[in-house]
Amino acid sequence: MLIENLIFITFAVTLIASAVMVVFGQHPVRCALFLVLAFFAAAGLWLILEAEFLALVLILVYVGAVMTLFLFVIMTLSIDFEKMKQSFLRYYVPLGVILVCGLVTLMFYITSHAHADLIKLIPMQHVPADYSNTKALGGVLYTTYAFALEVAGVLLLAAIVAAISLCVRDVVDSKSQRVDEQIAIQPKDRIKIVKM
Amino acid sequence: MVEYVQYIETLIWVLIKIFLILIPLILGVAYLMYAERKVVGYMQCRIGPNRVGIWGLLQPIADVIKLLCKEIIIPSVSSRYLFIIAPVLTIAPALAAWAVIPFSPHLVLANINAGLLYLFAMSSLGVYGILVAGWASNSKYAFLGAMRSAAQTISYEIAMGFAFVGVLMASGSLNLQDIVLRQQGGIWHWFWLPLLPLFLVYWISGVAETNRAPFDVAEGESEIVAGFHVEYSGITFAIFFLAEYANMILVSTIAALLFLGGWLSPFEGIPVLGHLFAWVPGIAWLLLKTCCFLFLYLWMRATFPRYRYDQIMRLGWKILIPVTLVWLTVLGLAIEFHLKPWFG
Amino acid sequence: MLTNYLYILIFLGIGAVFGLLPMALGYLVSPKNPTKEKLSAYECGFPAFEDARMPFDVRYYLVAILFILFDLETAFLFPWAIVLNKIGWYGFLAMGLFVGLLVVGFIYEFRMRALEWQ
Repeated sequence: MLIENLIFITFAVTLIASAVMVVFGQHPVRCALFLVLAFFAAAGLWLILEAEFLALVLILVYVGAVMTLFLFVIMTLSIDFEKMKQSFLRYYVPLGVILVCGLVTLMFYITSHAHADLIKLIPMQHVPADYSNTKALGGVLYTTYAFALEVAGVLLLAAIVAAISLCVRDVVDSKSQRVDEQIAIQPKDRIKIVKM
Repeated sequence: MVEYVQYIETLIWVLIKIFLILIPLILGVAYLMYAERKVVGYMQCRIGPNRVGIWGLLQPIADVIKLLCKEIIIPSVSSRYLFIIAPVLTIAPALAAWAVIPFSPHLVLANINAGLLYLFAMSSLGVYGILVAGWASNSKYAFLGAMRSAAQTISYEIAMGFAFVGVLMASGSLNLQDIVLRQQGGIWHWFWLPLLPLFLVYWISGVAETNRAPFDVAEGESEIVAGFHVEYSGITFAIFFLAEYANMILVSTIAALLFLGGWLSPFEGIPVLGHLFAWVPGIAWLLLKTCCFLFLYLWMRATFPRYRYDQIMRLGWKILIPVTLVWLTVLGLAIEFHLKPWFG
Repeated sequence: MLTNYLYILIFLGIGAVFGLLPMALGYLVSPKNPTKEKLSAYECGFPAFEDARMPFDVRYYLVAILFILFDLETAFLFPWAIVLNKIGWYGFLAMGLFVGLLVVGFIYEFRMRALEWQ
């Protein structure tokens, strides 16, 4: 129990500290890397709640894929970040402070004694070692929630189409290799034998 | 008080187990480098390293000492901290993935239920070391190499993921130990046969993921002078090297686990041979299978010319992914119809 | 279950140490005599023309975006694959439709020649 608490505190502090660094970091690439660290800490927290599938998917999808794209983009953009930071400090910091204050007030309001019945604090049930929550998730996701799954599929399709139509401009005269045409070529298309 | 003593005792045990995995692994990496130079040497009618120790067997140790004594150069234009962190980002996931590998029926450090997902997640982290190293160096060649390498790695990761999905469909579990046990019953029950196209796809994308020949455009000596680690010297470079070879061994071991029955004996179920080889421990079979794949790595490097970058991207996106999608459909139908003898 | 993940956490820590320790050792052992030329970025012997962090071909971004989408599909496929023998034809067809949508996107990608390097 003691170790669990210790690990929880470590992850929680890492999460908050790196989240703060994301906002106040020196360079966008560093901010993005701190965001990666924040995702890691969040995955650790989910693992403590024994949600192993979700924790690993968080690492796989967010750390492994989404943040890679972020880094790709941030690393290759040449924007004057100092300038951006100036306007950021002027406009967005006050807005952020107001939002955070609102959120903290809400959290206090909900968890205060007056509303203790809203969240029933159930002690966490430790699952047996052979319990696989991936299986439990799979059991319902593709049957009970099949419709939601299809909606997700449509969203992904829309994203694919949008990404391609935004990025691909020059369809016509690309000089790429077309293997099927190369294979299909016959000698008589290329060589003309002239009788001398 | 007793509780603390218990904690420390467990911790020490875990540390011993971790070192029992890591030290053979590091030795394996060292001698894989030696084996590579020897094997490729003989394939090209040379004899490879033969000066340090008998048959040159001490060559890797000499190399390590040499690299350790070389000056560590941190370029003046680089981002200092990221430059130093990048090798660590490469090596830590490459080593941590070994935590879930089952070596024999009871020999596994962390027998987690989502083992394969964990391996997949860890291998998706490999791209960070590359990107951070290339960017932190602030050198054109390093950056170009990093971008190429990262784009290639992520492209082949999809094909690899789909190949994993096929294995999961056949085994019905994410636990690596279960996946191995599900292949019991002799060589024809191993997953290489019902999943043959996925096996090939996995192997090709595994080679591409580790940026090895013939997919090693990221280093392309003649164009971008060794790619993302061009600015690294001495021991910092050695760590990238170590991670690359550790990843090679990992990819080979996963191939053995998922498609060649892991620690299962190949003579299982054969009348005389099965009994004759029953005494061989499982870990020996796993090692043997892994070594076959490692040899394949070296063989491929000595045989194939390097792909061009557009060809690499085409192979990944336009050939491997469609192949996996088709085979996943076939596999799904086979499972729904309970095709014997694999899914009966 | 959590003990297993604790082992993994320790393993990750040891992995990081395996990266840091040799570097510290190398720092102690190796000679240190940097010169200005030695510390400059590699550029075939020329002084660097410009900052190395330059804008890149948009195709790299496209690859990264498509990678995210396909990675998500994989994440959806993982739990499906291990319960396939339990959820039967209904689950199979549900996933068939899901993957079918992906295949439509894939065909679009082919038709637009989106991933052709030139």
